Amino acid sequence: MTWLSAPIAFIAAAIAIPTLIILYFLKLRRRDLEVSSTLLWKKSIQDLQANAPFQKLRRSILLLLQLLALAAALLALGQPEIKADITQGHRRVLLIDRSASMAATDGDAAAPGTTRLDAAKKAAIAIVDAMREPNIFTSLTSDEGGDQAMVIAFGTQAQVVQNFTASKAELKRAIEAIDPADTPSRLSEAIKLAKAQSPLTFDVEKERFVARGGPSIIHIFSDGRLPDSMKMDFKPEEISRLEISPDDVVTYHAAGQADSGNLAITALRAQRDFDNPARLNIFVAAQNTFREPRTVDVELAIDNRPLRVRQITLPGMSAAPAAADDSASLERSEAVKGEPIPGVGGVVFELERAEAGIATARLIVPEERRDALAVDDLAYAIFPPAKRLSVALVSAGNLFLTTALEGMNLSRLVVIPPEKFQSMLDAGPGATTGGDAATALSLGDFDVVVLDKWLPMVKLADGSGGDAKIPGLPPGRVLVLGATPPPPMGLIDRGEIDEPAVIIDHDRQHPALALAGLTELVIYKGHKLEVGEQSAVTVIARDQNGPAIVETTSDATRAIIVPFDPGESDWPIKPGFVLFVASSLTYLAHEGPQDVSRSLTPGQTLAERLPVGAQEARLSLPDGERFDLVPAADGSVAYGPLNKVGIYTISWRGSAQAGDVPVEEGSDRVRRALAANLLDPEESTIGARPALALASRNVLAEQAGTANSKQRLWPWLILAALFVIMLEWYVYNRKVHL
Amino acid sequence: MLKTPSPTRPERLEDLLPPELLARIASLDVASRRVFSGKLKGERRSKRKGESVEFADHRQYVMGDDLRRIDWNLFGRLDRLFLKLFLEEEDLSLHIVIDATASQDTGEPNKFFFAQQLGAVIAAIGLINLNRVALSAFGAGSTLAHLKDLRGRRRLHDVGRFLCALEPSGTASAAEAAKRIALTRRGKGVMVFISDFFFKEGYEAPLRMLVGHGYDLFAVQVLSPQEINPPIGGDLRLKDVEDGDVAELTISAPLLNRYRANLAAYEQRLKSFCTARGIQHMLAPSDTDVAALVMDELRKRGLLR
Repeated sequence: MTWLSAPIAFIAAAIAIPTLIILYFLKLRRRDLEVSSTLLWKKSIQDLQANAPFQKLRRSILLLLQLLALAAALLALGQPEIKADITQGHRRVLLIDRSASMAATDGDAAAPGTTRLDAAKKAAIAIVDAMREPNIFTSLTSDEGGDQAMVIAFGTQAQVVQNFTASKAELKRAIEAIDPADTPSRLSEAIKLAKAQSPLTFDVEKERFVARGGPSIIHIFSDGRLPDSMKMDFKPEEISRLEISPDDVVTYHAAGQADSGNLAITALRAQRDFDNPARLNIFVAAQNTFREPRTVDVELAIDNRPLRVRQITLPGMSAAPAAADDSASLERSEAVKGEPIPGVGGVVFELERAEAGIATARLIVPEERRDALAVDDLAYAIFPPAKRLSVALVSAGNLFLTTALEGMNLSRLVVIPPEKFQSMLDAGPGATTGGDAATALSLGDFDVVVLDKWLPMVKLADGSGGDAKIPGLPPGRVLVLGATPPPPMGLIDRGEIDEPAVIIDHDRQHPALALAGLTELVIYKGHKLEVGEQSAVTVIARDQNGPAIVETTSDATRAIIVPFDPGESDWPIKPGFVLFVASSLTYLAHEGPQDVSRSLTPGQTLAERLPVGAQEARLSLPDGERFDLVPAADGSVAYGPLNKVGIYTISWRGSAQAGDVPVEEGSDRVRRALAANLLDPEESTIGARPALALASRNVLAEQAGTANSKQRLWPWLILAALFVIMLEWYVYNRKVHL
Repeated sequence: MLKTPSPTRPERLEDLLPPELLARIASLDVASRRVFSGKLKGERRSKRKGESVEFADHRQYVMGDDLRRIDWNLFGRLDRLFLKLFLEEEDLSLHIVIDATASQDTGEPNKFFFAQQLGAVIAAIGLINLNRVALSAFGAGSTLAHLKDLRGRRRLHDVGRFLCALEPSGTASAAEAAKRIALTRRGKGVMVFISDFFFKEGYEAPLRMLVGHGYDLFAVQVLSPQEINPPIGGDLRLKDVEDGDVAELTISAPLLNRYRANLAAYEQRLKSFCTARGIQHMLAPSDTDVAALVMDELRKRGLLR
């Protein structure tokens, strides 16, 4: 128990209690009575006084009761507080999982078709209904007027749909308004958000911020398919950092059936043959989480026209592995340790198609064997046309490079002298140079610019130099060979080194280097280079003197820089060089690993790079809604998070890149389609978990909890004083009959 | 216990002794455990053998005895001389002492009225049975009122007048009064002392004065029901009606218990004192029916027969 104002109570007690006793003496106005003889009375008084010196006080129940009442009032003045166990928490955080798996229609065994989200909403509303109403007395005894609750809906990202309030109507409205999202689940975002929304006060004793109004009860309404729940750490050192009170109670309300099975597409990939770009390979992977094997038809449609149907048989869910020793899947294996492994299978469709298109893979499940989750039975893939890159080689003449690029079967290869490139650059993006339209050139026409042993003069990145220009990287996608831009986009050159160097380390996972054959490379003449402070470069290969190949990224530029001259090495005479140039160009042009069919995952943010100079960009969502986008200087646009699977279309006015098609014939508007797919084996494994494993504790479903709360005692003491005063009055009136 | 606000004061003898009660007590007589010698020939057996018709005993003839009393039938049978003794009958002195101090004028029903009634009844019984009846009362300042040597039913009205004239007031030294009563009484007989026996200086001295000297003492202690079970509460200043002594007290359950215990102990000591000295003690709450007390209780106690 803590006393908020003990000294005041002590002072008041020192004054009030003696006063009451003196008043008690003073207030005695004795009734005069004439009696036959005082003989026996005197004797009685003497008898009593003989063995009780304070008989008058002690025997007076009235004084005793008055003292009790006074004591209760004085104690109330001390404002005592206790930590009380209460069955109802004062602050509740309702975390409602709205991820894809919550759309499974096994929320209520009694009512088929009820989604888990519906069941979770129902459970959350039940919690809201059970919340204590604020009333006058609870507002006196506790910090809050009744229970308060906050509603957070989470998938990959968490969103506060209702901040702390005691209004049940608002909470219910907020809960009802939660829409399902086709995203994977991430609990940590939601927990962090819940903590961030809790009002904090600084606890002087603990020397850290603590949640005001006592600990919260965190209700998690989910099916338990939370791959990151193991990362939610409630250990003491984490608590102080994350501001999670150790008294917080996590209650897990499981939605859905534990034995629900599901058929899902877990991967869809469209790839063009390297040799024959017109041939399209579409790979579909599926998983089965039913206990028994299932045979399912996989339908492939291109641009909504069904082309082929293949039948595959997926094995049933198998028992849990004895030990998960695969380091690559360590993260996942921890979350699913002891869980059965879904049966997986795949099918490859091969077709001849040079045009761009949208591939749709669909699992056709017979009506009577339909699974609970429909959103993962469908996947989309966008594949670009069999078109090659448009590359500008800025060179004074380089036989190796020109030969390598010509051999790449590019759609367009233009060799531009450095002076002309510099004038194009000075003219600005989108501007054309040259005399007639046929030979007019624009920077926006090229996917990638290759700079051979030359750097254009550009303004300083931070603009500090005014109009002064230094050698640097132009905006756009650039492959630099045999030149070193200065920091921050480049490296500090410490001079030439004449002795041969070999690559001692490189990033084998990097798409540009995977086939480059760097292990056999000997550099005859290189430069000693250093990475400057606050540099934007990433070293992807390193020789004994320092960085050998680096990658750099800024708002406007994305570049792979090879500082040494390949001509001064044995690289050009090896196949690795050609492969390096090819994969570098592909990598730079496609912003990431070379996958022809890029797929987004709901919950992510859509980030695209439109051609430089794109205007009036607009995004169409799968449900038809439209948003205007404003491209950044380098043409990148962003929108997010994505909530639904399906096809997202960006359209704009301006030039087109590979894969972009005009909105309609003759229009200057161009559109680009992007596919968002769930394609998440973990999310598609929909059997509800009966227990939620957190890093520091296991939370069983529907576990009832109690929370600690500071309870103020003074209203109770005042009540007690009132009661004692009433009792005193009663006793006073009944005293004759004692 | 509390002073009676407007006590009943008898006007006539009938107020104290209704005719129907008088008719009922006519068959009673005052009894004494001892046989006393009286002055006049009366209806009471005397110690002395005398000339009544009631046979008492035989004894051997000795020289000088009256020959008229020889039982000749016995001489004829036994050939020896026996005297036939007869009982002598004498009158009995009945002395009634009434405490007329202020403390008697309390209680509901009034203790003094009860004492007056009881005195009248006992006096009437004495008069009817031709006993010599005397009445004494002591009140304020140990003043004494006497009525002596009454005999015969005719004197009943004198008794009534005497009792009706009594007004309880003041305080008195019971010992002083008892001493004077003891000195002034004559002969031998039964004395009835009606009081509450709440004497500050103690009941031992007056009782000791009165007992003995040929008197059979009967102490009737009259207490009001309020004295036995006080119906009071709160913070009080109790004032003694006799000496004005003040006791400040706050009534509580332990105090009341203590009072009752003290009263019981007082009673017990008084009773033991009386028993030790051959005094008959009787407690009579003032709400007792006088007729029932006389017809039943006093006969059991041996005062009446």
